[in-house]
Amino acid sequence: MTTQDSEAALQDIRVLDLTNEMGVYCTKLLADLGADVIRIESFKGDQVRCRGPFFQDNVDSELSLFHFHFNANKRSITLNLENEDGQDIFRKLVKTTDVVVETFPPGYLAELGLDYASLNRINSGLILASITGFGQDGPYSKYKAPDIVGVAMGGLMYMGGFPDEPPFYPGGFQGYHLASTDAAIGILIALHYRELTGEGQQVDVSMEESVSEAIEYATVLWDLRKVIRKRTGRHVFRDWNEIFPCKDGYIMCSPLGGAGWEAILAWMDNEGMAADLKEPLYQQVLKVMAWGQMDPAALLPDIDTDMLRKNPQIIEHIEEVWQAFLMTHTREELYKGCQERNVRLMPINCAKDIVEDPQLVVREFLVDVEHPELGTTLKYPGGPYRLSGTPWKIRRRPPLIGEHNSVIYEKELGLSKQELAILKAGGGI
Amino acid sequence: MAAPISKMPLEGIRVADFSWVSAGPRATRILGNFGAEVIKIESAKRMDLNRGRPPFVAGKKGINVSGLFNNINCDKLSVTLDLRNPKGCEIARRIVAISDIVIDNFNPGVMDRMGLGYDALTEVRPDIIVISMPVMGKTGPRSQYGGYGMGIEAISGLKYISGFPDKMPLGTGIAYPDSGPNPRHAMVAALAALHYRNKTGKGQFIELAQYESSICFTGAAVLEYTANGTVQGSWGGRLPNAAPHGAYRCRGDDQWCVIAVFTDQEWESFTKAIGSPPWTGQSKFNTLLGRKHNEDELDRLVESWTIQKDARKVMEILQSAGVAAGVIQSGKDLLEDDLQMKARGHFVQVEHPEAGSQTVDAVRIKLTSTPGKLRRPAPLLGEHNEYVLKELLSISDDEYDSLLIDGIIC
Repeated sequence: MTTQDSEAALQDIRVLDLTNEMGVYCTKLLADLGADVIRIESFKGDQVRCRGPFFQDNVDSELSLFHFHFNANKRSITLNLENEDGQDIFRKLVKTTDVVVETFPPGYLAELGLDYASLNRINSGLILASITGFGQDGPYSKYKAPDIVGVAMGGLMYMGGFPDEPPFYPGGFQGYHLASTDAAIGILIALHYRELTGEGQQVDVSMEESVSEAIEYATVLWDLRKVIRKRTGRHVFRDWNEIFPCKDGYIMCSPLGGAGWEAILAWMDNEGMAADLKEPLYQQVLKVMAWGQMDPAALLPDIDTDMLRKNPQIIEHIEEVWQAFLMTHTREELYKGCQERNVRLMPINCAKDIVEDPQLVVREFLVDVEHPELGTTLKYPGGPYRLSGTPWKIRRRPPLIGEHNSVIYEKELGLSKQELAILKAGGGI
Repeated sequence: MAAPISKMPLEGIRVADFSWVSAGPRATRILGNFGAEVIKIESAKRMDLNRGRPPFVAGKKGINVSGLFNNINCDKLSVTLDLRNPKGCEIARRIVAISDIVIDNFNPGVMDRMGLGYDALTEVRPDIIVISMPVMGKTGPRSQYGGYGMGIEAISGLKYISGFPDKMPLGTGIAYPDSGPNPRHAMVAALAALHYRNKTGKGQFIELAQYESSICFTGAAVLEYTANGTVQGSWGGRLPNAAPHGAYRCRGDDQWCVIAVFTDQEWESFTKAIGSPPWTGQSKFNTLLGRKHNEDELDRLVESWTIQKDARKVMEILQSAGVAAGVIQSGKDLLEDDLQMKARGHFVQVEHPEAGSQTVDAVRIKLTSTPGKLRRPAPLLGEHNEYVLKELLSISDDEYDSLLIDGIIC
């Protein structure tokens, strides 16, 4: 799919990236689609570089894998926004910029004279995307909001975990990812509008709101039925478990696979693991359970699931037999065996399983990124999508701190070496 | 408070939406909110499965009263065509011919078999943008494997990193990829392609494998493995650069507040805010390293304070002192007690002709001069057949009637 000289969807777009961890995925999305993203860092490097894990566990601001992952394809300049000369340079950069993305507390840019109204006077087509925990206005807008506050307040955290234990904190910074992706959507809609009218605008993303639409139907359930959706452990929204251990890990699947239960029962029987599930009573129950797999032909049947609720021991028994069968197989055997029988079992994968998955290997999901300074090439995860005409692509390794000062300040802004030296001495750069 | 129509930034963009259930519909809803005309193509024989999924309006049954469906399908039109019939596919192609974006989330090959694959569609609309969202991708030895949102969460590694190291990896407890990464990534790609089309006149085909898209929400976990050989496990609510950091039980039934203290200065603010009980004076808690070394004990002590207070009170006390904290909110909390969601106008009432009044999400991404607007409730099945076929496609009354009789419109 990737050719060296392929076009990129956003190659005409320049982005100034003032984000911390909360927004760094937004600018990654834009950079990987070809935008020229310039990270603006302090001379020590920004805080994203302090986040582990680190390459070969060497703690160093040029070796953060977190920084590598999120900042590939971007350029870096050092600039002090709290210094007047630094602000002047920022304003100069804004003239040739399409998008600024920032994650400061609301009001911070205004204190520096760099709020949207001021920037708009310099460049009326500018789009300023602001990503914060709670948005630019409202009573909680000044609240501090690291990722865990976003997933808690947005309602996602309430959904995961066992009923009698603390809720699970989802890994991977889901609040940051959700807010960042929404900001990228907002930016692209604003760009489309700018193409029609020439007008820029501010995009205001609240992590809480972004998360609150990633919680399925919890708000709808309260609105319509006055029922609070709670975390239910291994159950999901049915009356039976769907996460089970197997021989070498865990899998996700309704007992006997729901709609495909007959094929799975035959498989179990073939291996002498069907126990008494071929008896009519269990066959009847398995049929009812299959409804939970959303077979189109069975949509809206008038099935009374009360029979199951009144006799939980029937389902418990089915789960026990299913569990015993699962323990005789690996995740891979179950995955293949079920999918080939049209049952949608999925293994619970860790990063190693993903890297080794033949599906992803054949699709070349991982991409090589050369790191000359480390004398090595690292394998990065590929993109979330594949665009046929303008491929997603990592074109360059993440920048060193201030790596592009010279090319941007001297070549693009036309500052002299003397001016640069003065700015450096004065704390602007 | 209707925004002037010229301020709908995606006005003039038409979407032929073959997607169903969640990942696709949640994506196209955003386009609809900002002014695109989204035409949902389904049929009575093969309707969007979410029409049959709870929660339903109390006391009502049927294909038009699922609260879930009616939330995520606002701002769309519905036409019903039998796509198993070549004539139905022909009409679908005619809809594509007047559209800008096509979206589906079928398994690979399904659209092609109906004559609605990318190549066929470029014949009727050369600059069409097609986004297809199969689970595993169009290619590869497992392209025909399938799964639903929760399974995709399992295979993509999201479950594995969510929870507690000594517990079963339950993950988020919902079909998170369907409402989190996948619809959003789909819109990033489609809108980037639209930008490219605006400049060059060229459309393109976008493949979004939901498996791959969801992996992209696991952050640096894959790179950590390829670079260091380390498998990232679940965090158990903790972060290496913070303590306390996690969920703490508060007063009441199943009430929780998260607290996150990163710097020593925040720690000092935290201890003052909770009234400096004697235990906070122990020097072992003074530094991040000390707090990390004694985190189990620290967590118990922090909870001995939170358990005496309402979760919202804990949040207010700590946030006023500059310490990050937040209630672990339920759906009820979000709708009823969250002053911020109210102030932001996140929820809005819509009147649906069959379901009645329902509170739905408004437009979560705020664009200051073109804010978008929720314009119409979710469509009844086939509600816009006449509009789309007669007005947009100029199908005559007679032909329309025969399509009805032949069951092409169904």
